[in-house]
Amino acid sequence: MKKTAEIVVIGGGVIGTSIAYFLSKKGKKVVLVEKDDLASGSSGACDIDIILQSKNPGIHLKLAMESAEIYKNLTEELDFDIEYENTGGMILIEDEDQLQVMREFVKKQKAIGLQVDLLDFKEASKLQKGLAPHLVGATYSPQDAHVNPMSVCMGFAMAAAKLGAEICLDTAVVDIKTSKGAVKSVVTNRGEIETATVINAAGVYAPEICAMVGMSVPIKPRRGQIIVTEPVPKLIMGDVLCAKYIVAKYNPGIVECSDDPETRLGVGLSLSQTRNGNILIGGCREFVGYNRSTTHEALTTILKHATRLVPALKEIHAIRSFAGLRPYTPDGLPLLGPVNGIEGFIMAAGHEGDGIALSPITGRIISDLITDGKTFADISSLSPKRFDAWGENRFAS
Amino acid sequence: MKEEYICRCEEITREEIERAIAEGATTISGIKKRTRAGMGLCQGRTCRRLITQMLSKVKDPAEITPPTSRPPVRAIKIGEIVEGEED
Repeated sequence: MKKTAEIVVIGGGVIGTSIAYFLSKKGKKVVLVEKDDLASGSSGACDIDIILQSKNPGIHLKLAMESAEIYKNLTEELDFDIEYENTGGMILIEDEDQLQVMREFVKKQKAIGLQVDLLDFKEASKLQKGLAPHLVGATYSPQDAHVNPMSVCMGFAMAAAKLGAEICLDTAVVDIKTSKGAVKSVVTNRGEIETATVINAAGVYAPEICAMVGMSVPIKPRRGQIIVTEPVPKLIMGDVLCAKYIVAKYNPGIVECSDDPETRLGVGLSLSQTRNGNILIGGCREFVGYNRSTTHEALTTILKHATRLVPALKEIHAIRSFAGLRPYTPDGLPLLGPVNGIEGFIMAAGHEGDGIALSPITGRIISDLITDGKTFADISSLSPKRFDAWGENRFAS
Repeated sequence: MKEEYICRCEEITREEIERAIAEGATTISGIKKRTRAGMGLCQGRTCRRLITQMLSKVKDPAEITPPTSRPPVRAIKIGEIVEGEED
């Protein structure tokens, strides 16, 4: 049976469900299709941070700050407990070299309006117990926060459904039909949906969807592994990262060719504690295709690094580990907006490890673009069109 | 009626799991993400069989995929993992 929809959103993660919600709120008739289940991909295999301090000063940080504002009232707005908590966060600094890098980073972030400060070891120890004495200090921002990403997906999807959206789980897109350079329909394993507008929010699988309309995008899966501990009383103050995390995030070249396993695996500390008391200990950044396994080497390297910075973790039991794939892009920015050559095909993917933080603002931007043709900020640097030459050159040689 | 706990570690009741199934969960992992059943200390050793049974009412049992097994096999002190590596 043929269905029709004003807009089809592909992907049931934090990006797709947010877009479905914000579009439904504007009165659009949305059908969301998800090949597996809500939060079954990267959105269910990540940490819980809405961390602003890790964002590159520029459009990236500006959008994350706007997003953080939406998060503050989202529980009430969705009428769904997303476990939001404004905890604050820190980036631990191990030596003078890192201190130099972070000093510059903080200066630029402050210029954009983030509340962030450099603390010495004594001040840092007051905020986070159990730090290793060799640390030279930390940055601190009261604006960082936590959320349960799986609940964010469920909350957005249920609120969208209440507003009239149709959420189709276990529904895989197999083809997208176009005619005269415009989207005509989305073909799924459960039937065809006629529509003039498709939003590709398929995360690491976005390239597969793009291929259906003959387009290629430079989104690559980058694996992150995380260890989960038993629930313990409050130990981790909020989002606790280390300066190496920032280096690993923005310098994939340095990371991949190192002999040191910690550097090669892109290990950087990411600590947070869920409302139930489980501590999540991450993480790493590896290019291993679509492999979602955990590895002994990465898990032990992550734990060695984490216990070197926060020795107090040694006394706690690990109960589980998991791995998720982050949708990496070459410039660290997502692809948001329309594409050249296919009318009605809109990208909303490539958020790498920032999907949780950027989820609400992505929903707002895409819904603005669709209903008004413009949004509140200049997002030209996020346009998928910036990679047009990449797509053509890919087949040239 | 007394509440019936399916996941004892996280204290998740039969009713909560039935609600998750009604909300669209069709996998053990989907139920876990909606309710926390199986996220506790025993990592679903007891409840996954009970949940499979409950799911089989809405889904062909042959199609119910087992949850992903991940290390560690049982709870282990982080200090022991780290020191084991250094030996």
